[in-house]
Amino acid sequence: MDLSMYLLDLIVFIGIFSIMSLSLNLEYGFTGLPNFGKVVFFLIGAYSYALLSQAGVPFYICLIVGAIIAAVFGFLISLPALRLRIDYLAIVILTAGEIIRLIVKTEDWIGGGDWGTSVAPAIAISGTSPQVNILINIGLVYACLFICFVISRLLTNSPYGRTMRAIREDEVAAEALGKDRAKYKAQILMLGSAMAGLAGGLYVQYLHYVLPGMFMPIVTFTVWIMVLLGGPANCWGALLGACLVQIFDRGANLAKDLLTLPTDASNLQYILFGVLILLILIYRPQGLLKESAIKTRAINRIRKLKEPENNKGDYK
Amino acid sequence: MDVNWLQVLVNSAVTGSLYLIASAGLTLIYGLCKFPYFAYAEYIALGAFIGYFVSEVMGVSLSGAFVISFLVVGAIGFLCYRGIFQPLARRGATIIHLMVASVALGLILRHLIPVFGDIFPVLEWSWSPSYFTADWAAFNLGSVRITGLWAWTVIAAIGLSIALHIMLTKSKIGKAIRATSSNPNLALASGIDVQKVIWITWSLGAGLAAIAGIFRGAETQVWPNTGWEMILPVFAVVMLGGIGNFYGAITAAFIVGLAENIGVVALTALGLSTSYRIGIAFIILIITLIVKPQGLAMLFRRS
Repeated sequence: MDLSMYLLDLIVFIGIFSIMSLSLNLEYGFTGLPNFGKVVFFLIGAYSYALLSQAGVPFYICLIVGAIIAAVFGFLISLPALRLRIDYLAIVILTAGEIIRLIVKTEDWIGGGDWGTSVAPAIAISGTSPQVNILINIGLVYACLFICFVISRLLTNSPYGRTMRAIREDEVAAEALGKDRAKYKAQILMLGSAMAGLAGGLYVQYLHYVLPGMFMPIVTFTVWIMVLLGGPANCWGALLGACLVQIFDRGANLAKDLLTLPTDASNLQYILFGVLILLILIYRPQGLLKESAIKTRAINRIRKLKEPENNKGDYK
Repeated sequence: MDVNWLQVLVNSAVTGSLYLIASAGLTLIYGLCKFPYFAYAEYIALGAFIGYFVSEVMGVSLSGAFVISFLVVGAIGFLCYRGIFQPLARRGATIIHLMVASVALGLILRHLIPVFGDIFPVLEWSWSPSYFTADWAAFNLGSVRITGLWAWTVIAAIGLSIALHIMLTKSKIGKAIRATSSNPNLALASGIDVQKVIWITWSLGAGLAAIAGIFRGAETQVWPNTGWEMILPVFAVVMLGGIGNFYGAITAAFIVGLAENIGVVALTALGLSTSYRIGIAFIILIITLIVKPQGLAMLFRRS
């Protein structure tokens, strides 16, 4: 693979995982839900896409339906899980994810069991170079990413977003102010799951195949690193984290070919991931970018009034 | 279909014993530190690997492997707490941060095993599974088949239960562990060195995981995922027993063991794959958390 293909491939991966980290950022960063089973919604979106596209459904419907199925699953998990304590919630989602992967792996009639199945690309123009096909994929992925980003920004800057932060800071206080925390948490989990499902669909149509081995718990953990590194509760931070982690991942893969190490480099890569996360948690738990400030019209006006040069004549 | 129910019962006792040994340490750590410690899986794997090295490569007896593995992994458990979780706790990390840190630590330890194996080839540690070569005599009691390893697993579980019971109820440190687990501030106020109690519990818990690791490794295979393969059933046992409740864990271990073995029979009868065996523990875990998150603890509450 030449360099341009390699870079374009990296850009596609950054786009897909940015969607994942944006969705985890909504759940963990803003609402404080420890979703330790992120990968299962990714898997559901991926398999929905694979099965629907095999049935001949057009790609945009596959993506949307995959996202909806993932959201429904998120809702089903939220029914029992959200009334639980935070550590129980983490274990329940993790466990549910392992069960779903086990089912997909064991049942051969769902996408070929352990061996997986091939998936048709979303938009395939025959007779073009692979570069053009990748560029089409970049367009598709970044269009989806743009939509998810805009939704995240609008949502978190709205009164709804402030309720999310309130639930994260103090559930009981939020409930005392009349906010139904279970309802809010369920809605956020559904939205986050839908985004993850969308990312899953994009992922398998780009790779042209799907198999259970692609959805190991390590994927969840990679997304967690992205959010914690970039900065929880900051949408730009989620994008930054996704970029950095993917570049780090690729860099480690390149180093594997260039350096001769006494051991398998993929082991070292996971160890570095682990060390990175521990260092972040111990020395910079707020991530690289700090939490984005709340922006409302009222806050903007107060800020304007405080600045002396703008203080004159602005009595509107 | 003809099922040998006596055999199912014996198998359940063996599975339950293994889960009991594996969950005893986790329930103590979870009870004390109040967050699910996912890196516990790697203590199990490390225990299996160290036991494998000591007994198979160095040729020391299996009992020696248990002792060395217990001590080494116990020391690792102490270092992990001292180096990672104590600083985190002091900086006021949230429970989510502690959970993520434990996953990260698990990732590091799991992948360090093959790295060590590559750097020191004498260890014979790698991703490809290795097997304990000890030849366990299998004997038949009537229609029931028992291997020596199974018998030892059950004996070890019974011995461990008695030893931990005596330790928790009679010894000073055991009482201190229970006191700290139920109310750290009150324990501190009554002059218990809480820090020391936590250190001892983490070392003891890690050591117990190592013993479970050797039994699991001898029963199946030794590879870096040995621990991860059984960690969710172990969590199921801890949750069902009530976090931090050792007596609850004993009961829960045998319930989960029985459910798994009956479940295998049921799965075969239904024509489903027996790889769903592990799903039975998952279902128990989820139902416990939804219906009764405090587990069986109320059965063992002293008035």
